[in-house]
Amino acid sequence: MSLQTTSVDSPSLSPAKDSPADQPHGAVLGGPGPQCEARQEADDAVPLSARAEIHEKVRNEPCILEIESFSLWYGPKQALFNVTMPIPEGKVTALIGPSGCGKSTLIRCINRMNDLIDSVRTEGDIRLRGNSILAPDVDVIQLRKRMGMVFQKPNPFPMSIFENVVYPLRIDGERNRRVLSEVCERSLRDAALWEEVKDRLKESGLRLSGGQQQRLCIARAIAGQPEVLLLDEPCSALDPIATAKIEDLIHQLRGEYTIVIVTHNMQQASRVSDYTAFMYLGRLVEYGPTEEIFTRPRLSETEAYITGRFG
Amino acid sequence: METDCPKRPPSKVRFPERAVPAGPRRRQRVTPPRVRWADRTARTLITLGGLGTIAAVLLVGLFLVWVVWPLFQPERLAPAARAAIPFFGAPLQTIVDERSTMFAVVFGDGRIEAYRADTGERVATEQLFEGGSNGERLSAWTFSPRHGTFACARDDGQLCMGRIGFATSFVPPKQVPRDVRLKLDAAGSGASGLRPDRVRPAPRKPPSEACAVFRSGILQKTPEGQYRLQQLQVEQQAPLRRKGQAPVVLLDQAESARGRVLAYLTADGRLHVARTVERKNLLTARITVRLREGSCPVTLPRGQLPEYLLLSGLGDTVYVVWSDGRLQRFDTSQPQRPVRAGTTDLIEEPSVRVTTVVFLAGRTSLAVGDSLGRVRIWFPAKTGQRDAADGAVLLCGHQLWASRAAVRRLAASTRSRLLAAAYADGAVRIFQVTTERELASVSLPRSERAVNTLMLSPRDDHLFALTNRELFAWRIDAPHPEISVRALLGRVWYEGYPEPEHVWQSSSGTDDFEPKYGLMPLIFGTLKATFYSLLFGAPLALLAAVYTSEFLTPRTKAIVKPTIEMMASLPSVVLGFLAALVLAPVVEEVLPELLLAFATVPFAYLFLAKASQIGCRELSAGIGRHLQRLRSAGALKRWADWFIPLRSTALRERWHTAGMILALPLGLSLAVWLGPRVERWLFAGDIMAWLDRQTGSGLGAWFLLLMPLSVLMVAIGFHLWLRPALRPVAASWSRQAFALLDLAIFLVVCAVTVGLASCLATGLTALGWDPRGTVVGTYVQRNALIVGFVMGFAIIPIIYTVAEDALSAVPASLRAASLAAGATPWQTAARVVVPTAMSGLFSSLMIGLGRAVGETMIVLMAAGNTPLMDWNIFNGFRTLSANIAVELPEAVKDSTHYRVLFLAALTLFALTFVVNTVAEVIRLRFRKRAFQL
Repeated sequence: MSLQTTSVDSPSLSPAKDSPADQPHGAVLGGPGPQCEARQEADDAVPLSARAEIHEKVRNEPCILEIESFSLWYGPKQALFNVTMPIPEGKVTALIGPSGCGKSTLIRCINRMNDLIDSVRTEGDIRLRGNSILAPDVDVIQLRKRMGMVFQKPNPFPMSIFENVVYPLRIDGERNRRVLSEVCERSLRDAALWEEVKDRLKESGLRLSGGQQQRLCIARAIAGQPEVLLLDEPCSALDPIATAKIEDLIHQLRGEYTIVIVTHNMQQASRVSDYTAFMYLGRLVEYGPTEEIFTRPRLSETEAYITGRFG
Repeated sequence: METDCPKRPPSKVRFPERAVPAGPRRRQRVTPPRVRWADRTARTLITLGGLGTIAAVLLVGLFLVWVVWPLFQPERLAPAARAAIPFFGAPLQTIVDERSTMFAVVFGDGRIEAYRADTGERVATEQLFEGGSNGERLSAWTFSPRHGTFACARDDGQLCMGRIGFATSFVPPKQVPRDVRLKLDAAGSGASGLRPDRVRPAPRKPPSEACAVFRSGILQKTPEGQYRLQQLQVEQQAPLRRKGQAPVVLLDQAESARGRVLAYLTADGRLHVARTVERKNLLTARITVRLREGSCPVTLPRGQLPEYLLLSGLGDTVYVVWSDGRLQRFDTSQPQRPVRAGTTDLIEEPSVRVTTVVFLAGRTSLAVGDSLGRVRIWFPAKTGQRDAADGAVLLCGHQLWASRAAVRRLAASTRSRLLAAAYADGAVRIFQVTTERELASVSLPRSERAVNTLMLSPRDDHLFALTNRELFAWRIDAPHPEISVRALLGRVWYEGYPEPEHVWQSSSGTDDFEPKYGLMPLIFGTLKATFYSLLFGAPLALLAAVYTSEFLTPRTKAIVKPTIEMMASLPSVVLGFLAALVLAPVVEEVLPELLLAFATVPFAYLFLAKASQIGCRELSAGIGRHLQRLRSAGALKRWADWFIPLRSTALRERWHTAGMILALPLGLSLAVWLGPRVERWLFAGDIMAWLDRQTGSGLGAWFLLLMPLSVLMVAIGFHLWLRPALRPVAASWSRQAFALLDLAIFLVVCAVTVGLASCLATGLTALGWDPRGTVVGTYVQRNALIVGFVMGFAIIPIIYTVAEDALSAVPASLRAASLAAGATPWQTAARVVVPTAMSGLFSSLMIGLGRAVGETMIVLMAAGNTPLMDWNIFNGFRTLSANIAVELPEAVKDSTHYRVLFLAALTLFALTFVVNTVAEVIRLRFRKRAFQL
């Protein structure tokens, strides 16, 4: 695997110069913002601790993304309540929680895919390397170029494997055949798919099996050399063997990319992630190093969930 | 206990334990009979409905084929009678009556005798020149079967005119002698008339009626039980006084609008042309006929007199033919001064002789039979070369060459293009001249090969041949002789045309008209209408569909889509009416502005789009921020949300909408402002005259045609070379600065486009080429442009709806994947959504095409209905559908015209069927790709 050699020369993967590691996380995490207080009172009935339990170890990591007092409404219905969550750089962060707890909504906010939904309204802020991504003058297209995203269901385009992988370069106007094939090979190797498809790059991406398609989507997501890789339940539509391959892949990509993975599968979260955040009913409940969350959860809700008592 | 009911779905509701009944509880589940019955009924009804639909479509096709089928049935000559005749040799003239019951024979001594057509029995005798006949014979004779008039010259030089016909009267049964009546009654039908065909009953009854000789005529019993008497009737006028005394050798007559015209050749080689002038004495009521004549000499080769003299139907041309094929043509449009108009050699080979010459119906085309067995059809046509005095030349349009034996006699029908020919070897054939088809042929017995007289009955239903001793009659079974595949789809040389052409002209004012059933102009018109309406409608509809499905928020889309779909509810007759009476006159007034609008409106859109890049984003972001502040301060009411959306992206969409609404009037006013200037520059100040090639040069036309090409070339060049060069600039400059640069580049590119087009146009004009008369040309008010607009308007909703559905059916996951990869909405649409939805887009186009092909009312009202084959966008056309709508009400049921119109319907059916089948095949191939999604 040329994983190490190829990733060295990518500037976007090196730690950012203006890394906001020295920012006072504690201050921003202190509690709900002033404009949220009114709503907070309305939701008092929910029997959950209003404040998230965030382990200190997370706060001490240098972080690339900061989600701060973030709330989101689909029309009148609130889906996220005042989520505050730093994402450490170069680590794998897993979001777990029962269905409908807002994991996918949150991850889709990171590259502003929720813009596509007309009725969405947000409050709070998400910052990528210190710059707000929700500000009105942010170029969403440029923002998304810095993030790769893989969806729950494999969604290769109805074109050849080659064109699927180099799609991010194509839309940037890259026409150089040599560059394209280099990137294609490197991405497919990174996605552990090269050996299986190297002889049939001209074939349609739809001819691959489900697991291969998902790895193709990962290859496509990393072809644009993003800073953050967002995986939205990437294995939920796959069989155990394909899941194992994807998990291996996440292991290999660790360190090279910042990975945020949403998963239903707690074993998976414990296997692949460095940090785990447990969300419930639109709130972040507990967030800490994976082994601590799974072995010594601080809150009883977390413990109840990971031991399978509800959810 | 729970395991005992495995069929129950796992319930989320937990019952208290007491509610679960103790002991095994098994419920018998049976489908109620009512459900079974409903299921069976539904299946039966649906099966019946589906089969019924298929059957209905098949039946429509079968019905069309059933009506069209007789057009292509082979023609036949069925023997009807054979009898001995009581005279010998060739008479001057034979005339058959309307019902083919009797025929009159004119002999050289002025005797006229009538014979029964089935038995050859003599019925009546008349004599010309009663009282004054002193053994004189007729030296020249002519008879016009259409008018029943004759003219003759005696060998003492006297000219005489008159009328031979058959009078029909009905005899009261009491006056009919008993034996005759009994005979007629007993015979029923088909006893002593012309024998009916034994194989199958004749389609027309008359010859099969029994007939008897009565009062020097033929008595028949009609199917209604009346007794109908046919009698020979001869009228004769007093001899005419004429100039000169030389005996008349050849004579012909014609009925012109200003009276009867006579042309005769005297033995001294002079051609005389005379118009008869009738004067009625008001006191005595006596009619005197005088001749107003002129003459000119005929050049006689080796002093030989010609064998044939023919006067055309309008009396304006005289053809004089020698047996060696030499023909001289005289222009007699002024009878007092005949002028020689030209000479033609009808036969190239020196040894071949002309054996017979007759006029076809209408007395315009000459049918010339020769000793090689050829029958050639010659007619005058204006070819544009001015070597003849009247600008016309005689052209050989058709050649019927079925035999090596010499042509002996020809007989032309008086109502159609049928031509019967008898050959020296005893063969008798009938031809259809226009299609050059030999319809049928028969052979006479070896003993009676020399046909002296050949006659076609006035109704074209019987053919008679007289040999020296016998009479032969055949029934002609040819209801649609003028139809063949070649005549329908190929180029046909019609009478008076300089060359073979595709023509549709099914009817005309005169009876001797040659119907022209070329379907090509109609098929062409259909394709032209379809092409121009798709050219206008398809891009608009497809782009609108892409815009709606990819760029509009669901809320706006929910308004836009039903609105466009509502356009389809406009009845096409209303659209056609608006097109013809409102749009067409307006377009005629503002043509240059309209043509310009095709360029200025897109320009305005692009210009505003580029201009909005400069500040729109910052402006809307600022407004968004401000609004957000207002909103959080509670200053905005809830209803304001709808008008002023919170998010800046949605706000930008409102901006775009405003820009688009603004761009249309901007582009149009630009067109109005530029219109007169461009008209002066390119179209010599008057586009109508310029299109008609009266003024100006081809520059404007080239400019019009090259403009789209130039746009294409510049766009390709821009994307291939300039775009990559700009990329680093875009990365380093600020957004606003680059937006300014982009706007400047856009303006420069537009200027380059116009410059390129005008350079190319100037170059092509300098080469002397002028495209006027091809795709642009003389302006007609009802034209393809109007139809393109309005039919485009009619097909937009259909294409739009299907295309939009296809685009919306593309899985959202693909769109999300593309957008998440950092593609713009346009890149997502162009690279992912449109290729994936290609099958649906294609079928939307095909559905639009099908609608355009079958559309009737719009083209009927707005296309001018001229069956022309001309790509000129400013000219009219006639489509198959409009043609059926126009002509079917006036077509006689089961006539050739009627059946050809059904053939047009069948063609339309086949056209749409083929289009849809091809579309379906292509669509399925496209769909394979997207199938696995």
